[in-house]
Amino acid sequence: MSDAVLLEVVNLSKRFGGITALNNVSMRITKGEILGIIGPNGAGKTTLVNCVTGIYKPDGGKVLFLGEDITGRQPHFIALKGIARTWQKIRPFYNMTVIEAVTAGALLRTKDVLKAREEAAEILEFVGIPRSKFEVLGKNIALIEHKLVDLARAIATKPKLLFLDEVVAGLRPHEVDVIADVVKKVNREMGITLGVIEHVMRFVMNISDRIVVLHEGRLLTQGKPAEVARDPLVVEAYLGTKPV
Amino acid sequence: MRARISSFVLPALIVVVAGATVPFLVGFNQYYVLLALQSVIIASIALAWNIIGGYAGQLDLASFAYVGLGGILATTLMTEYNITPWVGMFLGAGVSATLAFFIGYPLFRFGVKGVWYALSTAALVVILHEVSIMVLGSFDYYIPFVEGWYYLRFRTWENLYYFSLIILAFVISLNLYISRSKVGYYLKAIREDEVAAEAVGIDIRKYKLLALMTYASILGFIGYIYIVSQRTFSYKTFDSSLSVYIAIIGIVGGLGSVSGTFTAALILKVVEEYLRGYLGGVLPGLHLLLFGVLLITVGILRPEGLSTLTDALVKKVKARIWGGAP
Repeated sequence: MSDAVLLEVVNLSKRFGGITALNNVSMRITKGEILGIIGPNGAGKTTLVNCVTGIYKPDGGKVLFLGEDITGRQPHFIALKGIARTWQKIRPFYNMTVIEAVTAGALLRTKDVLKAREEAAEILEFVGIPRSKFEVLGKNIALIEHKLVDLARAIATKPKLLFLDEVVAGLRPHEVDVIADVVKKVNREMGITLGVIEHVMRFVMNISDRIVVLHEGRLLTQGKPAEVARDPLVVEAYLGTKPV
Repeated sequence: MRARISSFVLPALIVVVAGATVPFLVGFNQYYVLLALQSVIIASIALAWNIIGGYAGQLDLASFAYVGLGGILATTLMTEYNITPWVGMFLGAGVSATLAFFIGYPLFRFGVKGVWYALSTAALVVILHEVSIMVLGSFDYYIPFVEGWYYLRFRTWENLYYFSLIILAFVISLNLYISRSKVGYYLKAIREDEVAAEAVGIDIRKYKLLALMTYASILGFIGYIYIVSQRTFSYKTFDSSLSVYIAIIGIVGGLGSVSGTFTAALILKVVEEYLRGYLGGVLPGLHLLLFGVLLITVGILRPEGLSTLTDALVKKVKARIWGGAP
């Protein structure tokens, strides 16, 4: 276990009008871990990732990646630095083939299209898309395949840190297990550090090394999956207090 | 590597060779050669549009702003200062690209997209139309009769037609080259989903601006040929409806498809001319009505454009030539 800090978020805040989506959140992601980010709806999980990846400009606080201040930089700059992500709602390239979509990701680190295509093919096989699907247009594949292609497209940018935003939402139980295996493989074999936003507890408790819990824009608690699951504060955040 | 170069040069060569036979086939009938010249010009403009509209997915409606600006510049330099259009056309390309930069930079910087991008670019043509009335006055400018390769003007249309074929070949090759390059992948990703494209590291502003300036410079270059084929220029050269027509060709042809856009340009131009020639005198406006019906029919039967037909054909031909998967 190396404790090198990959990402450090310091007092991050984000407001939308009167709503404070993130309120002074500070957290760290260390190299090599799978960090689960959980919390009830509206807790600020996606907002946190959006602020880190440059989709939103935070109203306060800092984002440090490998010690470099990347607060409020543009998304493509942050991707180049080595942070990739997938999306809660899939964002496929419908009118490009599966291999073309992943190649577009791989072209971040090379100008050579042929080389990028080879890399894309390897990554697609790694996540479990068979070669027969490579030339299929994005609009003609199933949801589980979209999730895997979106994942492959993000991995193709060769990130150091990858955020998965509700990657198993809408999938059947056995499909969830497929994704869990792939995600673990991505972490162990490719050495990519993961930040996993998730609602499906069976999934996130199973794969995470460590979990942070957000609630109403604040960091509620953090720790090992088993500890967090027993934490009365967490139970209260999800289920509420006893009616009086 | 040789196979890759031939894959984007060969189709252009085929088009040039096939196109070069047209004057012979029509027996040097000047009406048909001029029609062929106009078709090739329209096809070149539509294929240039394919870069910004088809690949990058930006519904640009300003084509004749760039054609007019580059063309009028080159023509004026020739008539007023006797500067050869060989220089003027390149200056026209440069000026159109510069205009595109000043239009595109703020639009892309502030994330103007979709219908708002279309409206902004449509407004550009209208603005140039109005401004040119102030600058040029409401006159038609005829080009004084000069002849020879120095002026790129001739007694008959054949030479200009051959020259325009070379431009078309260049635009086709450029399209095919882009679609196989990093830029092409990036533009298509931007067309599909800008937010997702940015998240895989694509500088969407930079690449959209690159596509827009490439498109504008080709149009600025072609401008002189267009004006010569019309024999005259005026404020009317900044033509809104023709600019929309170019976008229609690109959409009917199929966004991002070279073969589809090329086919659509030829078919639409020829059909339009035929309908106008035969029905224009029967009942004014009838040819436009039939042309509209034709567009709607294509829209219903082939909503993704003619490319669904032409791409299959191209694949078959390729398989014949290389005897395997393309």
